[in-house]
Amino acid sequence: MRFDQSMRCVTLRRAAAAMVLVAGLGMGVARAASVTLTETGSTLLYPLFNIWVPPFEKAHPGIRVTTQGTGSGTGIAQAISGLVQIGASDAYMSDAQLKQHPNILNIPLAISAQAINYNLPGLNNRHLKLSGPVLAGIYTGKITRWNDPAIEKLNPGVPLPNHKIIPVHRTDGSGDTFIFSQYLSFSTPAWANSVGYGTTVSWPAVPAGLGAQGNPGMVEALKQNPYAIAYIGVSFHAEVSRAHLGKAMLENRAGHFVLPTAKTISAAASELVSKTPADERISLVFATGAESYPIINYEYAIVNARQPNAETANAVKALLTWASNEGNNPQYLKQVEFMALPASIRTLSADQIAKIHG
Amino acid sequence: MSFSSDSPDLELVHRPRSGQTSLETRRYLINIIGWSLCTIAFLLVAIPMGDLILTIAVKGASAMSLKIFTTSSNGMTGGLLNAIVGTLVLSLGSLVFAVPIGVGGGVYLSEYGQNHLGAAIRFLADTLTGTPSIVLGYFAYITMVIGLGWKFSVLAGSITLAIMVVPYLARITELSLRRVPTTMREAAYALGAKDRTVALRVVLAAALPGVMTSVLLSLAISVGETAPLIYTAGWSNYLWTGRLTHAPVGYLTYVIWTFINEPSEKSHALAFAAALLVMLVVLTINVSVRFILRKRT
Amino acid sequence: MKNLTPFRLSLAGLALVIPCALISIVFFLTTYSWKAIGFNGFGFLGTINWSLGNLYANPVHQHGYLVPPGAKYGILAFIVGTLLSSFLAILFAVPISIGTAMFLAEKAPANLRTALTMIVELVAVVPSVVFGLWGIFVLVPLIAHVIGPAITATLGFIPFFNMNNSTGSGYGLLAASIVLALMITPIIATTLYDALDQVPRELRESAYALGATHFEVVTGTMLPTVRVTLIGAIVLALGRALGETMAVLMVSGGALNYLPGTLFTPISTMAAFILSQLDSALQDPSEMAVKSLAEIALVLFVITVIVNAAARLLARGTIRVIQL
Repeated sequence: MRFDQSMRCVTLRRAAAAMVLVAGLGMGVARAASVTLTETGSTLLYPLFNIWVPPFEKAHPGIRVTTQGTGSGTGIAQAISGLVQIGASDAYMSDAQLKQHPNILNIPLAISAQAINYNLPGLNNRHLKLSGPVLAGIYTGKITRWNDPAIEKLNPGVPLPNHKIIPVHRTDGSGDTFIFSQYLSFSTPAWANSVGYGTTVSWPAVPAGLGAQGNPGMVEALKQNPYAIAYIGVSFHAEVSRAHLGKAMLENRAGHFVLPTAKTISAAASELVSKTPADERISLVFATGAESYPIINYEYAIVNARQPNAETANAVKALLTWASNEGNNPQYLKQVEFMALPASIRTLSADQIAKIHG
Repeated sequence: MSFSSDSPDLELVHRPRSGQTSLETRRYLINIIGWSLCTIAFLLVAIPMGDLILTIAVKGASAMSLKIFTTSSNGMTGGLLNAIVGTLVLSLGSLVFAVPIGVGGGVYLSEYGQNHLGAAIRFLADTLTGTPSIVLGYFAYITMVIGLGWKFSVLAGSITLAIMVVPYLARITELSLRRVPTTMREAAYALGAKDRTVALRVVLAAALPGVMTSVLLSLAISVGETAPLIYTAGWSNYLWTGRLTHAPVGYLTYVIWTFINEPSEKSHALAFAAALLVMLVVLTINVSVRFILRKRT
Repeated sequence: MKNLTPFRLSLAGLALVIPCALISIVFFLTTYSWKAIGFNGFGFLGTINWSLGNLYANPVHQHGYLVPPGAKYGILAFIVGTLLSSFLAILFAVPISIGTAMFLAEKAPANLRTALTMIVELVAVVPSVVFGLWGIFVLVPLIAHVIGPAITATLGFIPFFNMNNSTGSGYGLLAASIVLALMITPIIATTLYDALDQVPRELRESAYALGATHFEVVTGTMLPTVRVTLIGAIVLALGRALGETMAVLMVSGGALNYLPGTLFTPISTMAAFILSQLDSALQDPSEMAVKSLAEIALVLFVITVIVNAAARLLARGTIRVIQL
């Protein structure tokens, strides 16, 4: 009995010693790195950041990066308050926000796009043609059935079902909602005047309408509800095709119907390169050009030009420079179906990155 | 004749005999129907729960590997070591604040709280449970993370969780203490025991299983919460450095909440592994506490 | 006061931390949302009209406040969604919890009791996100294809119970209420189970001696003695239902600006809405959106207080019925 107790005592002591050792090692490792950067924000950009971090840390052993997916609005707010060094956002800052915080930079890191998907039994392998005004009609409840003349006119010869349309939208604030509502606003004046665009909009009350949480919620809502339609970020391409959902061809500004492909996304981006201002805040939605896919956007890093010290500033510069150059390598971008930045945009970004100081 | 509730043939006593009145038949029938309804009620809880546990166990187990316990997450794949350590630190940290306040408050409410002050505290504690966790998180974000300048940290996260679970601790402790028969208190006082002895060594000791239930429930709530931590603990891909402030920390529910939103099968598998771990952690604590309690008596 | 010993005072001090926490949160929310309270007025509670406005246009002056053009904040739809879903959840959870607790305490085979009790306790352990996932993958399709059609077939003549008057997707009021009910059941059931377990043996034996059936012993003799516990547990559970965020957000269908016409119509609760809107609200340069969300939290507090008081009164009535 006594023996037993003393044994236990020894074991306990050993365990305690081991724990102290492990903790010490952990802290030793922590001290070895000189700077830790924190990134938070866009859930669309989050997967890409996580793909980026390991190769970046390998290239820059002194810098550690920790990422968090919280949402674009949070990314902007926490970059402004200085809680994080890098805020990720699908949307650029508004004029009013920038006026309050003139030190904040909007730096594009990659280009993303969005698909319009649907679940139409028997028709999911056909690419229906849809336009901004038709989608606006569906999401305002003016077009309620799949065989509505407006849809039939765009898709002659397609046996559209006489069934109620279920338009699905995101309930959480989202960059996807931002660019989708921009497409509707830029293509349909009635939508621009009544609903407008934003990461959340006040969706008109459509009796059949449905809200879903996050992109997986959108995919699931489509899977479970035949005759539903939804807007989904291209990074979910694999999930969407695994669920055998349909993908629409969208009408661009030139009146052509295009699918989101590398070619059409790059075409749209190159149309707007020359128009991108020095602060790089511009919408890429509904671009001109015969081949342009209409729903694409820059994914931004929101960064304060004034960092707490030179060390942090240099680390931030290193990360952003790496991300917008090496990081734009297709081996990384392909995993989330993003597109690389055009060369002239990289130059603009480099000029902005140079403004970051300690 | 045993009246123990375990006795399976208790109903034999009431089996209808010839010449029984209609009232007796009715009471007999109500007895049968009543217990059937109770069994159905239990099944209504147990079946969805069984389905849920099975889903998580199957999906989580297939993602389990040694790597999960030895490496940290890179935000999408990898292991869960950073999240496991973080969850333990945050939850146990919250108990450090919550248990003294909650149990102490519960003892007060039960033993000396039969007055207006007690009624008010009880009412406000119940109101506090209705606070959405995101509101607590945002409150803590503005006051502690930004206001006090702690940044994302273990301290801000633990205190937020503590505020969340304290009312459960206090109220369930109170409810268990109040079931301890008054005669026990009277006997102890009659033996000359002081307030402190009666409250802590007699009443609290007698109600220990109930109090442990409340601690477990709090632990379960704090281990399973996400919303209040996103804005207070932040998230880190690295192991906790031992700092209480100025350093974000990872936790398992973040993995469940965020990784399930990622466009990658590997992330989904990790999310389910994290869900399984959360349940296993609390189940282990639950079983061991029961084991200890049984040994004691 | 004759009994102000240091021991009692220190316990009272600990207990007082709880109201202090609550008061500081309410104080913070009130000061933080003061501007929104002034801008929104009483229309906040009485109108079904929520819009953040155009966050990309320059803020404009409206009634002396700087807000994004088109910003309107009216939350009646969310108040209704919150109250309806919590009320239904309690309606489902209370009888099920009482039945479960009675089954576990009295009927479950002795050698299985610990395991069965643990199943119920495990419900409390499941993270709310996981409940939401289960809701999306299992419950929602079940409502869409089994429960919904069954209710429509039996009660469909009442418009409120007719699924054909809704999206028919399964997401909505019923899904939210069932998930909530499942989440709060362990709070009521385990507390009640512990209480039943501790009812003095003499009480049950004397009831048997009077010739009562087993069911009568439990409902007529034992349940009344644990009445206070039951009421307390119900009120606690109600609080959790009102404030539950993640799981509800995932299965409620996220209604905006309309009231649920049927049991199957999408809804939004106040707590879920705060979570889903916070990120977008942070982009409002005038800060009116975030402050209006804080005002929702404040209103939820007031509602919790009122509902708590009402639940105490109602719960007393319910228990009398059970006493037989």
